[in-house]
Amino acid sequence: MAPKDESSDGVNLSRRNFLKSTGVVGLAAGVIAPSGAEAQSGPAAQGPGEVPVRLTVNGRPLELMIEPRVTLLDALRMRADLTGNKRGCDRGACGACTMLVDGRPIYSCSTLAIEVQGKQIRNVQGLANGDTLHPVQQAFCDKDALMCGFCTPGFIMASVGLLEKHPNPTPDQIRKGLDGNICRCGTFNRIFEAVSSVKGVQRG
Amino acid sequence: MASELLEQEGGPPRQAAPQAADPKFAWPAERTVLGTSVKRLDAPEKVTGRARYTFDITRPGMLYGRIIRSPHPHARVVAVDLTAARRSPGVKVALLWKDPANAQNNRVMFQGDEIAAVAADTEERAIDAARLVKVEYEVLPQLTVVEQALSGKAPAVFTNGNVRQGQTQESGDLAAGFKAAAHTIEETYETHVITHTCLESHGTVCEWEGDKLTVWISTQGINTARENFATGLSIPQADVRVICDYMGGGFGSKALSVGAEGLLCARLAKEANAPVKLMLDRKEEHLATGNRPSAAARIKAGVSAEGIITAFDAESWGTGGAGAPAGFPLPYIYRIANRRRSHKDVFTNTGQQRPMRAPGHPQGSFLTEIFIDELADKVNMDPLEFRIKNLPPEAPNAMWRAYLKEGAAEFGWSKRHATGDKTSGPIKTGMGVAVCTWGGGGRGPAQTHCEISSDGSVVVRIGTQDLGTGTRTLVAVITADTLGLQASQVKPEIGDTRYGVSPLSGGSTTAASISPAIRVAAVKALDALKEKVAPQLGVPPESLVAVGGRIQVKDNPTRGLAWAEACKHIGPQPIAVDGDWVPGLSSVTTSGVQFAEVAVDIETGITKLKRILAIQDCGLVVSRLTAESQTLGGVIGSLNFAMFEDRILDRNTGQMVNPNMEWYLLAGMSDIPPIDVRLKDQPERGVIGIGEPPTVPTAAAIALAVRNAIGVTIRRLPLTPARILNALQQQNTPRQA
Repeated sequence: MAPKDESSDGVNLSRRNFLKSTGVVGLAAGVIAPSGAEAQSGPAAQGPGEVPVRLTVNGRPLELMIEPRVTLLDALRMRADLTGNKRGCDRGACGACTMLVDGRPIYSCSTLAIEVQGKQIRNVQGLANGDTLHPVQQAFCDKDALMCGFCTPGFIMASVGLLEKHPNPTPDQIRKGLDGNICRCGTFNRIFEAVSSVKGVQRG
Repeated sequence: MASELLEQEGGPPRQAAPQAADPKFAWPAERTVLGTSVKRLDAPEKVTGRARYTFDITRPGMLYGRIIRSPHPHARVVAVDLTAARRSPGVKVALLWKDPANAQNNRVMFQGDEIAAVAADTEERAIDAARLVKVEYEVLPQLTVVEQALSGKAPAVFTNGNVRQGQTQESGDLAAGFKAAAHTIEETYETHVITHTCLESHGTVCEWEGDKLTVWISTQGINTARENFATGLSIPQADVRVICDYMGGGFGSKALSVGAEGLLCARLAKEANAPVKLMLDRKEEHLATGNRPSAAARIKAGVSAEGIITAFDAESWGTGGAGAPAGFPLPYIYRIANRRRSHKDVFTNTGQQRPMRAPGHPQGSFLTEIFIDELADKVNMDPLEFRIKNLPPEAPNAMWRAYLKEGAAEFGWSKRHATGDKTSGPIKTGMGVAVCTWGGGGRGPAQTHCEISSDGSVVVRIGTQDLGTGTRTLVAVITADTLGLQASQVKPEIGDTRYGVSPLSGGSTTAASISPAIRVAAVKALDALKEKVAPQLGVPPESLVAVGGRIQVKDNPTRGLAWAEACKHIGPQPIAVDGDWVPGLSSVTTSGVQFAEVAVDIETGITKLKRILAIQDCGLVVSRLTAESQTLGGVIGSLNFAMFEDRILDRNTGQMVNPNMEWYLLAGMSDIPPIDVRLKDQPERGVIGIGEPPTVPTAAAIALAVRNAIGVTIRRLPLTPARILNALQQQNTPRQA
């Protein structure tokens, strides 16, 4: 029996709505506070001056000399001219910076570059194969799932992350999977159509 | 310029004045590409990350700029010390915007007002240096609460008074109108301040070469920006080149002015003798780059037993921030013979408003539509029937009555219950409907250059810009339709002042301004091509048509040449012609209606949108897919206005408490209902524009659907769970007591 899609009908107290109405103060504090174990056994402090940082971006090595405080987003955008993913809010709320790290969507504006050494980093510029678009990119073009396009790279990476985990997602999985991204032009319905139409993404 | 973006007339819309075009340029009766769903031309650039926005521009030796802003809503700048900032690592230049010694230029009028700026070799170092700028303020009494200003108890902040009383507008016989009323209502309605929140912030990259300035800027008007830079820097316009290939949204906030941030970037670059990039951060966006003014009105209205609104008397006010007006149309659209309105602009120590998508209309719509439903209930009429009774007569630019009837059938309006869902359980459902209008329309100059080369390539250049609306696609659609080609065969080049002068994109005027110009240029280019081809075919040029990728004799398809073959006869010098806007191919004033259905949980106050229907016209539909996308976007913008976004100020400090995107709420995927868009084609009216109208009525339709669901009228936005619970509680309190 197909699972009931609760969010398409009636009132569903989703996590998002719950947070909207109650606030996330308690939750946020829990996320931000470092765990005691990590504080004691974590890597030695580096910086504040520039240090070598070795990244693997879209399958290619990238060696940078950057301050440890530089985010993954800024490292790629301002030190490697990989400007595909955008900075909208710089606080992990809008999702325009979404990249995949070891297959998992992350807010690259809120991730330090130095923390993702040794991991597989993918941004929107690593999806197409020459002139052949990734199925998600093609679907966004076919369904007009973009307007100004500034949020688009983030939405596409979040969609790829979702589809590599759930190649045949339910409507509810699509909604929840993309709830971390904001489009100000208002293309959500088209994005939903686009992601729903994608077939044949390999499980990551 | 601002007046072109503001349409304060909310009454019966002005009639379109069609003027005869040269029949040669008239829109074709049979359209091949026009009105079809052509895929957005630049979508592949955007989905791959290849599209370069201003935020993505990098220049050799480029520095990063950062603005120092006042944390105080009202203050005098006593002293600014740039010494430490200048010594900070990587800093190349620091300069003042405010001048402590100049009484004309040392006042801070809102939180975020610009004080000074720095530029350094990395963005992080620019931010470090900005923190080292020492500013001494004399903090002055501030005014950020509108009610305080209206009560007269606020400190005198603005030189000519905190409140500016406008002239009273009156028509008909108000006393007679109220005498004829069987019922009256008197209530206060209110909308809040929201910010544009473009995903790409405001910002520029400025590069000087001697006295010449090149600017990459996220703007709705490259030519306006050019004038702004020239005037602001006292240099000739001819020395300024402005480029905007792609931009991440504007919604009105990037239309009229390059702002202090633009001029500061240019000055930093000049002093540093290096290119400077200065992009604002999210907090600066909320504070200093415009907002939609608030709107409120105390409205007394009367209705006859037959359901005709007989009288309307309103005192309205709103704040557009520090010294800026807050006008809006009221009453909106509906015919009321006897009416009076007086309006006050309230000045507050907050960032100045800028035009925001359909300036004034969403506010006027909300304030009007809510009392329309209240009056309908007074006379026990269906609100849709009540609207039809009170709307202006039907006309091509006033199609509400027809659209309401069509929408009612489509939406299942007959299933709507009377005010208050009587079913048991906490989930209450309801429906609402609202109407909209917008002028739009075109104007020149919209210089357009079209070239056809012997290799068959077609290039169209216009000094316009694409806000995300699909301007490039529109250029290609019109050209391709005229030349008998596919849209993908046309190469549009826009976003550079070197391509000529074109209007700024505001007031839904871009499509209506450039479409006629593109048509004229393309027709002229085709005429020139026919001249070249006709001798080859041994026929007169007038007998030729361009259709299906061929140039052929009109009634004899076999006698002709394929496009590529035909173009080989052009010779080494391309066909190169110019077009401009001409009257007769565009017109003004659209109409639309929207229906909304919601489910409200009266235990939590949470509203879930179930579905929305938008019926909208925009004259001749040029590019169907992108026009539908714009309508969807307009609906969602208004949905955010209704449900989520809100600029919240601390009442004590006057500072914004949510200048970010986690507490400045915007809808996400799970909040968006299915939205059905019905575009009504009116080809005989020419191109009008669709950016604004669909963002007008959604908020009111949703608020009325909530009212229909819970049986309580909420006269203030946004429809937060807290506001809904409070309204329910207030309604229940007397009964419990």
